[in-house]
Amino acid sequence: MQPDDSTGIPSDSGNDITPELTIPKLFVRKARKYGKKRVAMREKEFGIWRPITWQQYYDNVKSLALGLIALGLEEGDKVSMIGDNRPQGLWGEMATLCARGIGVWLFQDCLIDEVKYIIDHSDTKFIFGEGQEEVDKALSIYDECPKLKKIIWDDPKGMRHYHQDCLISLKEVQELGRALEKEKPHLFDEMIEKGRGDEVALLFYTSGTTALPKGALLSHHNMLTMGKHLMDVDPCKETDDYVSYLPFAWIGEQMMSISCGLQIGYTLNFPEEPETAQENIREIGPHVMFAPPRMYEQMTRTVQVKYLDATWTKRKFYELSTKIGYHIADLKFSKKPIPWYWKVLQGFAYLTVQKKLKDHLGLSRVRNAYTGGAAMGPDHFRFFHALGVNLKQIYGQTEVAGISVVHRNDDIKFDTVGRPIPGTEIKITEEGEIITRSPSVFLGYYKNPEATKDTLRDGWLYSGDKGFIDDDGHLVVFDRTKDVFILKDGRPFAPQYLETRLKFSPYIKDSWVIGDKRDYISAVMCIDYSVVGKWADEKKLNYTSYQELSQMPEVYDLVEHQIRQANKDLPDVAKVRRFTNLYKELDPDDDELTRTRKLRRAFVEKRYQEIVNALYSDRDAVHIDTVIKYEDGRQSHIKTDLKIVTIKD
Amino acid sequence: MSTTWLPCGEYHQSYKEDHAWFQTTFIKGKMILLGLILFIFIPRFADSYWLSVCNQIGYTVLGALGVQLLIGFCGQITLGHAAFVAVGAYTSTLLILEFPWPRFILDIGLAYPISILIAAVVAGLWSVIFGLPSARVKGFYLILTTMAAQFITVDFIITQYISQIGGRGQAFSLPPGTIKIGPWIIDSDLKVYYMMLVLTILCITALANLLRSRAGRAWVAIRDNDISAEVMGINIIKYKLLAFFVAGFIGGIAGAFWISNLAAISPEHFQWFWSLWLVGVILIGGVGSIHGAIFGSVFMVVVLELLQLAVIPLADEYPKLLMDFLFIKEATFGLAICAFMIFEPNGLAYRWWQVKNYFNLWPFSY
Repeated sequence: MQPDDSTGIPSDSGNDITPELTIPKLFVRKARKYGKKRVAMREKEFGIWRPITWQQYYDNVKSLALGLIALGLEEGDKVSMIGDNRPQGLWGEMATLCARGIGVWLFQDCLIDEVKYIIDHSDTKFIFGEGQEEVDKALSIYDECPKLKKIIWDDPKGMRHYHQDCLISLKEVQELGRALEKEKPHLFDEMIEKGRGDEVALLFYTSGTTALPKGALLSHHNMLTMGKHLMDVDPCKETDDYVSYLPFAWIGEQMMSISCGLQIGYTLNFPEEPETAQENIREIGPHVMFAPPRMYEQMTRTVQVKYLDATWTKRKFYELSTKIGYHIADLKFSKKPIPWYWKVLQGFAYLTVQKKLKDHLGLSRVRNAYTGGAAMGPDHFRFFHALGVNLKQIYGQTEVAGISVVHRNDDIKFDTVGRPIPGTEIKITEEGEIITRSPSVFLGYYKNPEATKDTLRDGWLYSGDKGFIDDDGHLVVFDRTKDVFILKDGRPFAPQYLETRLKFSPYIKDSWVIGDKRDYISAVMCIDYSVVGKWADEKKLNYTSYQELSQMPEVYDLVEHQIRQANKDLPDVAKVRRFTNLYKELDPDDDELTRTRKLRRAFVEKRYQEIVNALYSDRDAVHIDTVIKYEDGRQSHIKTDLKIVTIKD
Repeated sequence: MSTTWLPCGEYHQSYKEDHAWFQTTFIKGKMILLGLILFIFIPRFADSYWLSVCNQIGYTVLGALGVQLLIGFCGQITLGHAAFVAVGAYTSTLLILEFPWPRFILDIGLAYPISILIAAVVAGLWSVIFGLPSARVKGFYLILTTMAAQFITVDFIITQYISQIGGRGQAFSLPPGTIKIGPWIIDSDLKVYYMMLVLTILCITALANLLRSRAGRAWVAIRDNDISAEVMGINIIKYKLLAFFVAGFIGGIAGAFWISNLAAISPEHFQWFWSLWLVGVILIGGVGSIHGAIFGSVFMVVVLELLQLAVIPLADEYPKLLMDFLFIKEATFGLAICAFMIFEPNGLAYRWWQVKNYFNLWPFSY
């Protein structure tokens, strides 16, 4: 590409990240380079994947950015985005950055209080909502957030009778933008040129397992260096496909779609509906994937359940090839050479089962699959390697704009998260806390200097996670510092480890392990309604609700069996001794999980105080009398008895 | 949505791709293999007997396609399809024997190809005439009107009048050398075989194309519920008649093709039983699928041939078997239909789909 004088952007020689480089500059550079030749994104609509070229992407963002300026956006103003993953959402974000605003993403399923808190706290001026649902949310808080000026929507479904002055459609904003362009044709380029890498690009509200969300300020430079360093480890190609279906409010998705996506120029694919994501991933067959463990756990569960329902021949083939796969995976983990006869068997397993299985899961073309954001159990991890999927753990947080540690090819250990990416230093403090230093470390928390001071000390980011570095230089993340248990014999113990092991059973959706400074370990289990329900149907057991199903003696036997499996290789003090089945699934709407589905331990411990007390008494049941909230806001009163089972050796 | 099972990583960016025929390399490979078998392997290794079996299959496919279109795709039950095949055969024969072709057309061997086209159009129009009642009647009543087509056309008009043209009596015989396409005189089973392949592939392609067009969707809508089809704005009379025309057209091609295999044609070749037989073929093959017409034809023809091969060695002991073979044939036909209705009501095409699914879903069952 020729140097482009109009924007003063250097030519595209590799991806050198200068302090001047911003996300919009890179965006314009890529759009000029690819133009109409390459597809920037696709969205599945009415059964086909409609392509959007870089030229269309650029045109849309340009008119939208100018439209925002016409509406009164000034430098540093915040613009919030809420909605599913769609091209329009990303245009909104890119337009905000181009217009020198700061982007804030909200989780699609945020409850109204959270929306209000974030909009108010971030001083949002404009909000991009997808359709009626988001507009309703925004309207209901409009009066309480005086800084909010306009609500922009783009899906006209259900919007016919909305005539409030604060509403404006995406198309109208773009019209305003095109009008402004006629007036000032160079405004867009000038604004992009003004940008500097150390300016704030995104304001990211961290999920926080403990307190109210904190807004992390990330600069253009943070985002871009992060993406570059990850791509240095695992390069992607511009012909790659990536499926964007996880919330943009999660840093991992921003990292893949913006930080990496923009630098490489691969195609982003947006699913038809959130519900069809899994199916759409299968159609696209992405080359690179990044998802939190729950996605992989869900895939494992699907495979396990479908395996149980398959015919005899198919089951035998599956069993055989999994055995081969596990053996090969274990050889790889221990870095031993694979003898030729095992390679032959591997070929057999690949041809008979693994090839098709990967096809079903949409993993046929995956070069690198990453998981992060929470702990993944070793069983799940081995499962994917046995399938021949190059699954890697990564470790990071919002405050380093994504990730800082990742597995390298051929150097994968399932109990670690790998080694730091280039440009990143990792140290362990004397207290065992993991601290990080890199160009991607964030600027600070928005309107929260105290938290910033706690987290950022001398350029080091204090993560609040406990861990250590092993002999191979791999980082091992133990758990959140405040979550680590002290067992009866004084040993520290990570409850996450046990919880993820329990979750390897397809029948168990979630588990919560208790036992800090107690005599023994106990667990609260949440069964998987659909899987256990199907199991009960086959056994001709009658049930009407989750609550009833979870309390059936047969289901208790089933869960007990799963716990015994997980207990097997654990030292005696770390074994689960008593458990109960919870009458409901843990849910982010009840604040029991974060939006990224991490357990909020302190909160649940308080909420289910009675259960915890009963687990550490000699009672064999606990009476529950409580109120639960449904997703649509209804409440219902629950009175039930939960059985408590003691597991004997 | 495309109904083809696509492997992971194959997706469509336009509706054109979405409706393409051979969407994956696997399917393309499969079709090439099929082509090799049909065009090279069979002509090379099959003897004259098996070639004639193949020709019989091809003729049955051509006949069954029209029936499949009417019954399987448009829901218009027909029991008189042999009449349109007969119209095609007789039109073509008469054109060859009686029409004063200009010399140059005879010289370059276009008389027969042109007569096939005209035969197809005439048969199509004839079919439309007997399709007219479908505007008013449905179900049993339509079956009766189509049976009327059979008896009026074959037993009355053709037997009583057409056969008398030229004063030959019952049968028209085609002198050697009259069936000629370009420079090639169709005088061996192999040449008939090649002609059969080309015509069958053309007809299947044309029908499959129609089925993915507006007409095809209209037919399926009429089959599923004619009232709702009409409410959706489909002119159901027009599309029903179009279905009759296309079915008759393909039937006409079948008839015109078949005269190349027959030395003489007479009304016995197009009896009502042949109409019934074609319906049996699609029932066994699978209603509502082009595969069904092909599978059903292969199955019926091959089973009967095998039956014949089985009967011949027994003939020394039980000569009556050979004498009454016609009855055995009809009894087998009845038995096959009964067996399929009970054990495989959706036909062979469904079984084929299940086999494909078994492997597509591997290593799971759903």
